[in-house]
Amino acid sequence: MMDTVVNRFIFLLKKQGVRISPAESLDAMQALTWVALHDRDTVRIVLRSTLIKDLRDLPFFEELFEQFFSLPKASLSPEAAAEPQLPHATEPYPPEAAAESNLASGHADDDHAHEDSLDIRDYFEDEDMVAHFNAHQDDHDLCLAEFGQNLLLSRHQELLDQVMQKATQLLKVRRVKNAGHAGELNFSEALTVLDADLIADAVTELLEELNDLDVDEQLIRRLARRLEGGMANLPELLKRYLERELALRPPAKISDPPRRRAHDDHFSEQERREMAEIVQRLCRRMRGARSYRRQISPRGRISVPLTLRRNMKYEGIPFQPVMTHYRDDKPRLAVICDVSLSVRNTARFMLHLVYNLQNLFGQVRSFAFVSDLVEVSAYFDQLSIDDAIVAVFNSGLLDTEVDSNYGRALSLFHNRYLAAVTRQTTVIVLGDGRGNRNPPQVWALEAIRRRAKQLLWLSPEPRGSWSLGSCDMPLYEPVCHQTEVVRNLQQLGQATEALLRRSVTRH
Amino acid sequence: MFASIEQTIAQLRDQQYLCDRKLATVAFLALQMHKPILIEGPAGVGKTELAKAVAAALERRLIRLQCYGGLDEAHALYEWEYGKQLLYTQILRDKISRLFEGVSDLHEAVAQLHLHEDVFFSEHFMVRRPILQAISSPDPVVLLIDELDRAEEQFEAFLLEVLSDFQVTVPELGTVKAATIPYVIITSNNTRDLSDALKRRCLHLFIGYPDEQRELDILRMKVPALRETLAAQVVAVIRRLRALDLRKAPSISETLDWAQALVLLNADALTPALLEETLHLLIKYERDTQQVNDQLPWIGEPLQTQNPPAIPSATEISLHPPTRPAELDVNYLEQRRQEHTTRYFTSYRGRTDGRTGG
Repeated sequence: MMDTVVNRFIFLLKKQGVRISPAESLDAMQALTWVALHDRDTVRIVLRSTLIKDLRDLPFFEELFEQFFSLPKASLSPEAAAEPQLPHATEPYPPEAAAESNLASGHADDDHAHEDSLDIRDYFEDEDMVAHFNAHQDDHDLCLAEFGQNLLLSRHQELLDQVMQKATQLLKVRRVKNAGHAGELNFSEALTVLDADLIADAVTELLEELNDLDVDEQLIRRLARRLEGGMANLPELLKRYLERELALRPPAKISDPPRRRAHDDHFSEQERREMAEIVQRLCRRMRGARSYRRQISPRGRISVPLTLRRNMKYEGIPFQPVMTHYRDDKPRLAVICDVSLSVRNTARFMLHLVYNLQNLFGQVRSFAFVSDLVEVSAYFDQLSIDDAIVAVFNSGLLDTEVDSNYGRALSLFHNRYLAAVTRQTTVIVLGDGRGNRNPPQVWALEAIRRRAKQLLWLSPEPRGSWSLGSCDMPLYEPVCHQTEVVRNLQQLGQATEALLRRSVTRH
Repeated sequence: MFASIEQTIAQLRDQQYLCDRKLATVAFLALQMHKPILIEGPAGVGKTELAKAVAAALERRLIRLQCYGGLDEAHALYEWEYGKQLLYTQILRDKISRLFEGVSDLHEAVAQLHLHEDVFFSEHFMVRRPILQAISSPDPVVLLIDELDRAEEQFEAFLLEVLSDFQVTVPELGTVKAATIPYVIITSNNTRDLSDALKRRCLHLFIGYPDEQRELDILRMKVPALRETLAAQVVAVIRRLRALDLRKAPSISETLDWAQALVLLNADALTPALLEETLHLLIKYERDTQQVNDQLPWIGEPLQTQNPPAIPSATEISLHPPTRPAELDVNYLEQRRQEHTTRYFTSYRGRTDGRTGG
């Protein structure tokens, strides 16, 4: 019974970006069986301690909990609740407005999913229902009602979703039939097919569910009455839902633009040698985290087992002490490189750097981005430097014609490849931070920094022009451990020197 | 045994530990669900005390594992007593040679020895470290893993088996399953993020500074000799100190120390002079001292009124120290911003390097 509500709640939390594993969901449900459900605060504490493991997620949780497990109008004065009010579900929603708002906020799909669910709930959390609950004036019943209502709503919601899906399917079928008028919808027809028996099924199932619940009889009867009324609003709701679906449909793809010309410049032998040398120096100073394993060395502490073992031949008298110390792990590297138009002149240089890094460090993963982000480690592993660079630009991995979008690239990295970043990883971002006024998504970089051992940003653009135009470097800079200006070998050498002098990577 | 949340609160109160409903709920659930509790929060808010109180309330033995950099399973789980093994082989040399009396060739000798080799890798030669003690104890215990953030990440990974299945694997002996499920409390001072895998296995609890009423209650309980008016003054001053942007805000343990000191000094009431003299009990950093001295008149404000309002504020008014005069503002804020940046990021860097930050 309860799991539907909790699942729904967890689903919404996940939509907000909170990481919750199935094990934690199970814990939450198990924990709820141990406490009294009518106490809202206890439920909150239980859910919080089982689901939220990171303080940074707490605000989302609190907000959602308030929204989800609340009876918003219940706190109104009793007169207001007692007065029969217009349930707001019957208020005509201008469908255009809903569709428009969707188009306006156009990007994130998951936001819509969230909105959807809340909207549908709104239809049923109307004042009328509250008035019924408030008829029981004592507290206990109200609390119970609160939880019960949530059970009901989310149960109901699932059925509703089914109805919705069915309607959408019908709609799709219709659209195939008369493909010429994709934008025009005939709701009346779709809705008549979506007939009463489906809805009636939903209501009966709901009431059966309710009977299993420990809610008192009277309450169920009231809810039943209420729900029958609620069904009247369904067509209006469906209409909105369908329109939203339509608005969400992505526009048809235009054929791919022609790829740009190959990069045919090559690197001189001199260049290669210098670059390799500088990167080697960098490599020597970059250490991984202190490892947990010990190795035998002249310094460190005496290891009793090893000493005993080595001195067995002297009848256990420790003539030869054996010392061990903790070994440093091999460094790991993740390189994120911008290859867009704005850094075209230096992109070649940057990729050369990536190539060298990947040659020298054992565990390097490299990523290239313009607006999309792709992993290019394999190219640099298998091809020669020139071939690798040509491959990055020409293989169709990336659309290099579009404007660079740092925010999108960083959040893509965060979503897909964050696992590549561990406590031993140094992350190097190569790029000018010009995101063309797209949202900079600094949080993604912060998240990367939190996980990484170290975060370096090498920009080809002089520091003075960072504050000009649409450059987001001032936002990114405080997040990085170190930012350096590097556009040629000489500057790379200087930057390396600076890194070594400050020895940020040493313990 | 905690039977309900209310009873948990009462039982912990009997052990001189005042907790709110949030904490009690988690403590209660941990016992029922056999789940470890992970407590995070600033130093000195009673994380370790909770473990002691729970152990006393449940009448269980408390086994404590203090974590530090470089802690490994030899110190956390078990270790072979090499010295003892060696000693026994020496002492038993005769016995061992008698073992081979009837043996003709080397193969047979090795086979013969093979039959007895588990003698030396048996539990007699094993030093049980806290985790193994907790797991193999015949009576249920409370296992406190203190300040886990100080240990390396690898150690966390090592704990996973213990925390989810309550078993440990000793290569020579096999898997040791828990005889009784221990009540596990893990504390962290939040100097670094613990791994998700570990967090997933625990009930999470954040303990912050208590509100005014609770702090006063704690003070009354722990320092009964403190006069009522003095206690209220102490709490009022501490609250103002916490409202400042200090590097180390005074926590409950410091409040208690201070109150104890005031009792020893035989103080009737807190005067501004006395406050100034005893301030070093609360402030642990030079930079903080500077800041507190600047704000001393404001901090001392609650001492002016003879009868401090006896916890009237049901509506918690957030405290804000007075800001500087307007003409200083720009420079001051800029300086503060830079200070903050350096402090935040230097300590952060320290953390990522494996050291604990400031």
